[in-house]
Amino acid sequence: MKIELSIKPREKPFIPIEAESITPASFLEKMTEDITVWSGNREKKLTEIFDVKKSGNADSQKDVEIILNGDCSAVKRVGEYMKDGKISIMGNIGMHCGNFMSGGLIEINGDSDSWLGREMTGGEIICKGNTGDYCGSGYRGEKTGIKGGKITIMKDAGDYLGESMAGGEIIVNGSSGNMPGSEMQKGTITIYKDAVLPCPNMRGGICYVLGEAKEILPTFKQTGSIYNSDHKRELNIYEGDYANRSHKGKLFAGKTNKK
Amino acid sequence: MSELLIKNAYVIDPINDIKGEIMDIAIKDRMIADSVSDSAEVIDAKGCLTLPGGVDSHTHICGTKVNFGRYMSPEDMRAGRGRAQPHMYPVSGYSVPTVYANTYRYSALGYTTVLEGAMAPLEARHTHEEFFCTSLQDTMANTLFDGNWSVMEAVSDKDLKRVAAVVGWTLAAVKGFAVKVTNPGGTEMWGWGKDVGCIHQKIDHFGITPAEIIEYLIRANELLNLPHSVHLHCNNLGKPGNYKCTLETMQRTPNLNDKRQTLYMTHVQFHSYGGTKWGDFCSKADDIAWMLNRKPQIAIDMGQVMFGKTTTMTADGPMEFNLYRLYNNKWSNHDVELETGSGIIPVFYSRKNLVNSVMWSIGLELALMTKNPWQCMLATDNPNGAPFVKYPEIIALLMSSRYRDEEFAKIHPDTGKRVHLPSLDREMDFYEIAVMTRAAQAKALGITDIGKGHLGEGAYGDVAIYPIKNNDIDPSRDYSKIIEGFSLTDYTIKSGRVISRHGNCLLNGNNRTIWVKPKISEEYNMSNDPEFVKKFERYYSVSMENYPVEEEYMNKRNICIETETGL
Repeated sequence: MKIELSIKPREKPFIPIEAESITPASFLEKMTEDITVWSGNREKKLTEIFDVKKSGNADSQKDVEIILNGDCSAVKRVGEYMKDGKISIMGNIGMHCGNFMSGGLIEINGDSDSWLGREMTGGEIICKGNTGDYCGSGYRGEKTGIKGGKITIMKDAGDYLGESMAGGEIIVNGSSGNMPGSEMQKGTITIYKDAVLPCPNMRGGICYVLGEAKEILPTFKQTGSIYNSDHKRELNIYEGDYANRSHKGKLFAGKTNKK
Repeated sequence: MSELLIKNAYVIDPINDIKGEIMDIAIKDRMIADSVSDSAEVIDAKGCLTLPGGVDSHTHICGTKVNFGRYMSPEDMRAGRGRAQPHMYPVSGYSVPTVYANTYRYSALGYTTVLEGAMAPLEARHTHEEFFCTSLQDTMANTLFDGNWSVMEAVSDKDLKRVAAVVGWTLAAVKGFAVKVTNPGGTEMWGWGKDVGCIHQKIDHFGITPAEIIEYLIRANELLNLPHSVHLHCNNLGKPGNYKCTLETMQRTPNLNDKRQTLYMTHVQFHSYGGTKWGDFCSKADDIAWMLNRKPQIAIDMGQVMFGKTTTMTADGPMEFNLYRLYNNKWSNHDVELETGSGIIPVFYSRKNLVNSVMWSIGLELALMTKNPWQCMLATDNPNGAPFVKYPEIIALLMSSRYRDEEFAKIHPDTGKRVHLPSLDREMDFYEIAVMTRAAQAKALGITDIGKGHLGEGAYGDVAIYPIKNNDIDPSRDYSKIIEGFSLTDYTIKSGRVISRHGNCLLNGNNRTIWVKPKISEEYNMSNDPEFVKKFERYYSVSMENYPVEEEYMNKRNICIETETGL
């Protein structure tokens, strides 16, 4: 089954749309007319906000593909609790895309806003543009972030990438903002370019910063260096964070030219 | 004028010695009356259990400490979400929920009066602002005096009248209700990174001991003739072997008041630990209960722990630091100038944890081993032991030994060697539960005279009707029905108006704040005392003129209890 959603021009395009109902499961189980989204504080039919084109049939969520056209940067929570299937987003997407996702694939051709893949446990998210803050993190105040799955960002990520990450993998092909991998417990983060203050208070897991790691915290201990043949770089190895009681984290950071 | 008649109610009203009679209750103009006219609104209770509105004598629901708990635990707001309804605001939160969530949930349990357990005098305004929005309960605030410099200096000078004058001035200034002492001396020592070992250790810079602070405050409390006694959170909370300290505190308590207890000890579960370290940690509830049974001048509350997630918050800063080292999670620590301090951390009490399992047993043991239910009240020190929504489960545990045995089978297997709970087969009846949840609490707080906690003529029309029929139910077997029944009242009536029906709150409850104002002669008025005034100029961040809580901050319907003092 293929569902093509094109966002209609709206009078007030800044009013956020809460669209946790845009998942393969709801299109499989419900009639399109019964699916609703919230526009601001009003519940509206999906067909009032989007042009919906549906074609083909599906027996399971795996066979469902959802395509979102147009600028969806005010559409939040797309693919929340997604278990299987595919969502392709042609333009930008709003906050909380792929929350609690446990399987399937979300492909974003534009930029994604903050909280991409929050608390996901499986599946894959590929974002071909930039992403905002708290990509692959946990809820505010919660101790565990993502537990599994894979997030790939082709450009840059914002601050607090993979906060309290407890599994899975995050790859950023550009730079990340402040404090990627803070409170990290498990899993792997790879940042191909630069990062600022990486992995504060990390307890476990591995983080690679292949460009320049600006301001490595004094609570990290350098244990040596290694030539990484995969990335063809000389990397310093740090252990930490010694500010935490458990400090089994490993940080591999590109050598910086100190002035 | 409004009139209400509750028919066919199975009433238990311990203060008026009614132990289960089918009768009618008439309420006229907010007060219980002898009779009402025929035009009165009628509620048919259908023989259901009808009790005076519940009174919680120790809970933390309003104030800076609670609010900081909300601040540091945004994840707590993911639970307990409820939408707005007519007369109800949207709510969220579980252990530190929003103000409205607290008031709605208390009213669903049948509670109409609550006492905020600890209000730092300097931060009283915040507490009163939240009281204003606790719209379905009448409120009171315990005021902290554990590390008050002026009090400690007066104790050091052995000047009882000055202690009383400081306490009286502060209570009236901040519109507090009673004297709360949290880890006396310990919070002051915590300012220097230390704690006090037991009640005979000297406090740095003041040269006095916690025992002296407690003794002087007890005597000052009686001198001021306050409705409630001193409300004490003992030293050494949560440390293995602290029962000796608790016993000695109890042993030293004089009997000075024949109307009520002389000392109210709160969350005694946390103070009844034997052993020397966590490895040989065990229950000493038997020793504490033995002492309590011999000391009618003491009343306690259980401080029951229930399994699950919660937030601990207390003015006992050093204790919270120890807990933080145990859990290694978030921690907040706070200092309140010349008065006190506080600490907050989120915790999880687990069935699989031996220490938590023993703690759970100790609370129940205390209640079951105390012979006189008027001396041991039901409370969890909300939210420290558990959020108050767990009260119905505690009631069921006290009423059914079968439920206790079933729960006991689910906790850590080594608990049996360290506690006495399996050997206790006492099962409480509805009368004892009514005592432990409202009558004893009202009596201990000294608010029966103003018409709280009973259904006598002239009392406030606070009534809770639970969907429990005495004849149809065997609490020992049908404990799940007890939990269900006490969780949600059919009607909660406050001041003669139905505020909650099956958990749906119907209106604003015209809540009042009760505070005390001791009448003190000009000679002992601290506003004129040069040394006291100098303290404000020199150390406080606010001036003396701005310190008292103005009437604007108070609920307009407040009740002021003026007391005749010996000053």
